[in-house]
Amino acid sequence: MTEVAERAPAAPAPTPARGSALAELLRYRQLVAMLVVRELKVRYKRSVLGLLWTMLNPLLLMVVYTVVFATIMRTAERNFAIFVLSGLLPWLFFSVSLVQGLNSILANQELIRKIRIPQAVFPLSVVGSNLVNFALSLLPLLLLMAVLRQPIRPALLFVPVAMLILAIFTTGATLLLATFTVFFRDVRHLTEVLLQMLLYLSPVFYNLQVLPQRDAWWFQALQLALRLNPLSYLFALVRDPIFYGRLPAAQVAGIAVAAAGLLLVLGFAVFQRLSPRHIHYL
Amino acid sequence: MRNGEIRIRDAGVSYRLYREKVTTLKEAVVNRFRHLRSAEVFWALRHVSLTIEPGETIALVGHNGSGKSTLLKTIAGVLPPSEGEVLVEGRISPMIELGAGFDPELSGRDNIYLNGALLGFSRKQMDAKFDRIVAFSELADFIDMPVKNYSSGMYARLGFAIAQDVEPEILIVDEVLAVGDERFQEKCKARIRDFRTAGVTFCFVSHNFEAARELCSRSAVLHHGRLAFDGPIEQGWQRYRELEQGPVPGPQIEAG
Repeated sequence: MTEVAERAPAAPAPTPARGSALAELLRYRQLVAMLVVRELKVRYKRSVLGLLWTMLNPLLLMVVYTVVFATIMRTAERNFAIFVLSGLLPWLFFSVSLVQGLNSILANQELIRKIRIPQAVFPLSVVGSNLVNFALSLLPLLLLMAVLRQPIRPALLFVPVAMLILAIFTTGATLLLATFTVFFRDVRHLTEVLLQMLLYLSPVFYNLQVLPQRDAWWFQALQLALRLNPLSYLFALVRDPIFYGRLPAAQVAGIAVAAAGLLLVLGFAVFQRLSPRHIHYL
Repeated sequence: MRNGEIRIRDAGVSYRLYREKVTTLKEAVVNRFRHLRSAEVFWALRHVSLTIEPGETIALVGHNGSGKSTLLKTIAGVLPPSEGEVLVEGRISPMIELGAGFDPELSGRDNIYLNGALLGFSRKQMDAKFDRIVAFSELADFIDMPVKNYSSGMYARLGFAIAQDVEPEILIVDEVLAVGDERFQEKCKARIRDFRTAGVTFCFVSHNFEAARELCSRSAVLHHGRLAFDGPIEQGWQRYRELEQGPVPGPQIEAG
């Protein structure tokens, strides 16, 4: 038979185990894209509202928090709903990516045992699919802004850049936790508990500028925590253009970019270092 | 190295055998990470050296647990060797478990693209192969159905159809020919013979002498993780039978 010989010569061959880890990952970018689509497809299969859930979910949460904070706790912020939503959306993106992503190596272990692929594609695709959700959930936010007469300023064009920086930070954190989870399964539970705390140590429901200044020790402690928390700077990148209609301060943006870059490099390096040993622990 | 060449030099793969499996941080902290030091090491494969030339056909022979699958996994790049060197040049088509990358919720169509991407192919490259793959699998009527509704035979047929169309330079086949009905098995065997004529390096694991002799000229006999014989298939099979009747050495476990 000559059927084989007759076929067109193989297109640029993905030869294994050559070049740097980064170049290899780059070659598999289409796989990442496909895994993102798969995740979205499978998630919304057989649900009548489908993708609408992505938009409804944060809106419903926002209603709850707005009622709690604006009515019961009497926060005196105008358009508090938009204030909450502009912090809640980045928070949901970060925390959901982290929880899903740290589990992604274990969830795909059948594949990892059988086919040689750069394992980083799994946490990356989780962050990717959540980034799509994040972008989709901006649509109802814009709608709400129009309804509540929140001024829509050109600074809004900065939001995609802010999302990208936040996504880089989230990718670094997810890579780090994904590899740790393979060795110690309780990283997952620990993360879930820590995220609960982190939510209140991040400027999601409040801003320091918004709170009345106090001298109490707990206020000082909170102030310190917020200043040390890189999420404060990252979330400000999203909230500033949406709620305040202005670009974030250069210093805030600088710290956010530095934190994101550092965490990505660290996360990728640690992941690359430890991932060959994963297979013994799956 | 040339495309299709496999060079294995003094390779070994070890697993740690923990007396207790420690998978939580609490356990690790409580015994102060002692498990990391006290684990015993089990060598599933040790001191194996083997050079397979492009276009060669080799059968890996051995009892259950002899290290055949471990060797295949190191060649496929899934399992990095703990010592020594495994160099592989060229595109591998691993027919180790057909349909390993399938997502049961997705349709056959989506799974063809997903599986192609897992093997390193772009969407465009898979577009060119799609019709051929569907035709080979004979599943055109079911291609838009989720694969969880496929029978196991259909599942394997789609898996083989994808694996046979990735223009491999090295083909690794691990007992997968027992799937599907007899007619489809014959079709698979014919396809593998095509690859051989086309000069594809071929590694085959089988317990069936007839199948191995039909497809391979050389054999490597593994016995408790060591390479016991490397040479023509008839002699290899004889050696394998002798070893099976001899005394069984204990597993090679060393204190860590």
